[in-house]
Formats: sequence, structure tokens, C-alpha cells
Amino acid sequence: MITTATSTKTLETMVGMGQITAGGPPHKMKAVVGSCIALSLYHPRLKRGAMAHIVLPESAGRDGMPGKFANTAIPQMLDLLKELNTPAACLTAKLAGGANMFASAGPLRIGDANIEAVAQALRAAGIRITAQDVGGNRGRRVTFECEGGAMIVESAGQATKTL
Amino acid sequence: MIETANENVKLLAGLQELFASATHDASAAMCRWTDGIISVALDALRQVALEDVAVELAVGDEPLTMVVMTLSGDLGGSIILMFDDLNGRQLAASLLGREAGTDPEWSELEKSALMETGNILGCAYVNALTRLVGMDLLPSAPYFIQDFGASVLQQALMIQAAAGDSLLLCDIGFHRQGAKLDWRVIFVPTPGLQASLAQSLHAAPQP
Repeated sequence: MITTATSTKTLETMVGMGQITAGGPPHKMKAVVGSCIALSLYHPRLKRGAMAHIVLPESAGRDGMPGKFANTAIPQMLDLLKELNTPAACLTAKLAGGANMFASAGPLRIGDANIEAVAQALRAAGIRITAQDVGGNRGRRVTFECEGGAMIVESAGQATKTL
Repeated sequence: MIETANENVKLLAGLQELFASATHDASAAMCRWTDGIISVALDALRQVALEDVAVELAVGDEPLTMVVMTLSGDLGGSIILMFDDLNGRQLAASLLGREAGTDPEWSELEKSALMETGNILGCAYVNALTRLVGMDLLPSAPYFIQDFGASVLQQALMIQAAAGDSLLLCDIGFHRQGAKLDWRVIFVPTPGLQASLAQSLHAAPQP
């Protein structure tokens, strides 16, 4: 699912696995991530942004929601922001997630691959990463605020970080 | 298309029977471990869209106490026991025959009681599935995690997510003398294990 929102009342959207949401203030976008990545793109002057809940590094030709893969999520986010009259120039990125929740016993060490793939896709799109909280072995509850572009990251048993 | 949908319904019904049978064995082991107080039963075999999984399973965004076991290889999967902190502590306390702990940090003994519960339940479940597919499934040692349920579930779903946007999960509930408890086990089989189980359904003699 891909959504856009420009409502003036406070609006919170939970961004599920593979989803993308775009909007402006006072919209807040939330996601709980483990090995997935919560990626925000933000235009500070226009105060418009988008958040994707990226699950896997590469689509490799597979069908699926554009937000599911790092290489397809970012072009889709740019298209959505364009629909909100937000140009790609001046966009900045913040990201959180990419943990390896099961340590060495896990079926896949996908978190590291996701971090690398998102960084690479952002480089290809010419978008600068201004802050990130990635890796480790803890889950993260992430809130992206369109008002000022802050990304608030909470981890169980740890201090909250504002990126 | 309709035929495909019908086949899918039939396959799910067959798999539901298999998982219910494995859960029955796990329940017997759980009863023995808890002196007949606690049993488990298959609540549902769920087919869920990737984007809806956290909402459909109502894992929420609050931290939970979990014990995780993984099965490695093509015939793999993950078994996740989930409790809120209070319920996890109560189970550990009842197994240890003492009052539930109040220290924010779990003691090693409490963790061990919960991990042993995961081990007994998970191994009984996996042994039953091993008999059904006729191939050895090898579970990891159980480990203890306190984190967001959705974050842990996400990692368990990665192999299925790589294969498609529709996910298959077993949702197993706990009961104490007939009353449902707010504890659960989620089993996430890999596509390879799903295929082997489906094959075992076709191989089974028809009534």
C-alpha cells in the first residue's frame, strides 16, 4: 500500500512492512523495525516527507510492493513526493533499523545487507544521509515527524534517540 | 483462477490438520512439564499479507518477553513463544514454585525456566513435524529476548518475505484448565518446509 496525506489535523500512520507513506505536517509516520529499515526522505523548507518500511535489499526482478525492496522503494518515494510538489533536490535521508535480531542463530543476517543496499540506493539517487541509527541486535520503534523532520528512535531498555 | 483458490483452501485445510496434530503432541509435552496445568492448542493457521502481519497478529508495538528457537536449512522456520512481562514472570514463578519476581531484570533462573519451557514445547512440536515430513528438522537451542514483538517476528518472516507477499503462520494459544491465557506461540515455516508438508499431504492415504 502507498498513501499520501496532506490533512491539517494530527495524523499518525503506522507504516507496515513494504509500505510507503508521504505527507506534510502535522503528519507522523510510525514503524516498528528489526532487520527491516525505516527510511525517511524529507524536504526541510517545504516540510514534506515520506517514510518507507523496507524489508529486503534487492527486488532482483521479483514482483512485490515497491516499498518492500531498497532498490525500488526510493524511486517510489521520489514519485510520491513529486505528486506532493516536492522536488528531489534538497531532500535528506534518515534511517533506522537493520538489526540482526537472532544473532548467530538466525536464518539470515539480512539487517547488514539492508543497511548497505539502502545506503547504495540513496547514493545512486544523490540523496545525503544526515543521520542514522542502524545495526546491533535490538528492535526499534520509529516515529518520523513531518513538522521538523525529526526521526525518534526507541529501543527496549535503552534511551530514546532523536535523529 | 477459482480452481486455484479452491486448491489453496484445500491445501490450507490439510496443513491446518497437520499443524493441529503437531500442536497436540506439543500440548501433551507441555502438560507433563507443568503437572497437567497448562495445555496448548492451534488457534489458527493464518495466511496474512506482508504489510498487515503486525496488525493481524496483534503483536503491537510494546516490548514483550520471548523465547525463540530456529530451524536451520531448507526445511526451516522459527518458533516464538511470546508473553507480556507479567505473564512470563508468572509462568517462570509457577515452574520454580516461588513468588513472581519484581526486579526489573530477570534472574538467570527465571530466564532458564522460560527457555526450558520453549525447549520442551518447541522440540515436541518439531519432533511431530519431523514424523510428518519424514526428514530430520534440527532446532537451535532456545534463547531469551526482551524486545518489540513485531521486530522479532519480522526477522522470522524474512525467508517467506523473500518468496512472496503472502505469509503463512501458525498461531498457537495456551490454556490453563480450559481457560485461555494471554500467552502464545507463533510458528513460521519456511517455503521449503511448507512444500514438504504439502507433499506429505498428497502422499497420505485418502479416506
